[in-house]
Amino acid sequence: MKIKLLKKADIIIIAAAAAAAIGFILFQRLGVQRLTAVISVDGSVVQSVRLDEVTSRVEIRPQGAPDVLIVAENGKIRFEGSDCPDKLCVKRGELYRKGDTAVCLPEKTVITVTGAELDAVTY
Amino acid sequence: MKNKKAPILICAAVIFAAAAAAVFALPEKKNLDFFAMDTLVNFNITARGADIITEEAKNRVNALDTEVLSRQSASSEIYSLNKNHGGKMSEQVGEYISVLLDVFKKSGGAFDFTLGALSDLWGFGGEPSVPPEDKIGEILALTGADKITINGGNIEFPQGAVLDFGAAGKGIALDEIKEILDKYKAKEAVISVGGSILVYGGRDFKVGIRDPRSQSGYAAVLTLGQACVSTSGSYERFFESGGRRYHHILDPKTGHPAENGLVSATVISDSGILSDALSTACFVSGLEEGMALARSFGCEAVFIDENDKIYTTPGIADSTEITGGGFTKAVMPGAREAE
Repeated sequence: MKIKLLKKADIIIIAAAAAAAIGFILFQRLGVQRLTAVISVDGSVVQSVRLDEVTSRVEIRPQGAPDVLIVAENGKIRFEGSDCPDKLCVKRGELYRKGDTAVCLPEKTVITVTGAELDAVTY
Repeated sequence: MKNKKAPILICAAVIFAAAAAAVFALPEKKNLDFFAMDTLVNFNITARGADIITEEAKNRVNALDTEVLSRQSASSEIYSLNKNHGGKMSEQVGEYISVLLDVFKKSGGAFDFTLGALSDLWGFGGEPSVPPEDKIGEILALTGADKITINGGNIEFPQGAVLDFGAAGKGIALDEIKEILDKYKAKEAVISVGGSILVYGGRDFKVGIRDPRSQSGYAAVLTLGQACVSTSGSYERFFESGGRRYHHILDPKTGHPAENGLVSATVISDSGILSDALSTACFVSGLEEGMALARSFGCEAVFIDENDKIYTTPGIADSTEITGGGFTKAVMPGAREAE
């Protein structure tokens, strides 16, 4: 006689436990990323914004690109307005993940989200 | 009858045992802030037995301060050497002094650890003021690490010279802590002794360099493996008098705060004492001589000047990310443009 070792329900329980364990380990290892949005105009960084510290609306008119309006709010950042004809930068929408980038070519303005989670600061 | 559930129970027991073993074997994280050496010390230690390591490291830092390096604590070795203008050194202090003498010589005197009296004259640490020029001259005539004589385990120096480990003590503390982390085979640690940093472990760490203009943001972020990182900056401690700003890093040649266009010098080294002493030496030496000095010790360096330009040694250029608004990466004068 063939003995059925595992019932379907047992497999589900074991799989769920394994998934929870893996999820927990990943969460522990990755931690919460401290994201920084770096704004540069014509190749030079003009401002950086710690996204995790931004809760209420912050309006930024970057130095060197006065016709651009950037807004940071609730851990996200976006081009809200620009004098450029195509408004591609505004259409790019919200940036909030490491590596997210939006460019306004006519205004030579770039926003990049970096995952600069700092371990320490020297001074 | 055979129990159908038995294999499941055995399986579950094995998984439970393995998980329990894994939990016990996992290194713990321990965070501790305390004040020592006139500054804030922060430990972030990940290790098995992190509690014990943290306690031992804290005791070591406190003992290093009060029993060895402090100029004020009557029980310290440096206090007694200063009081007697020399004497028998412990092996430990002998080693520190030999490293610092090397930095003194190679920096052409830009780093000098015998200027305790000069620092007191300026009143940094208390109520600072600009001292009269003749007083500065008097002290400079009596001081200088070149006036030190070492004979076996004995040191002698003239009255007037006052040993001051203020520009190396934080780095020495990092070396001492590292020894403890090694002993307990800690997995990972981030240690800050008043802004001098030890990142310890087998991964890459991100270390920000404080923005000299803002006190909160950071000008650049370094990606480093295990290393000690120290910064000397004119923004850290200063006072204003007669419309002028005076910072606390004194140039041993003039007796006045060093003025050469640098606002911050960061040095990265395996050795804490070297990173700390060299950051001061480089700050006083200025851009070009400072860069050459750091490289002569095999260290990497990042300098920021008053025009918000950030200079690096070639070895760390690719690991330096500019994150502060208005800063630009600059090429060393005289060096060929990097590609």
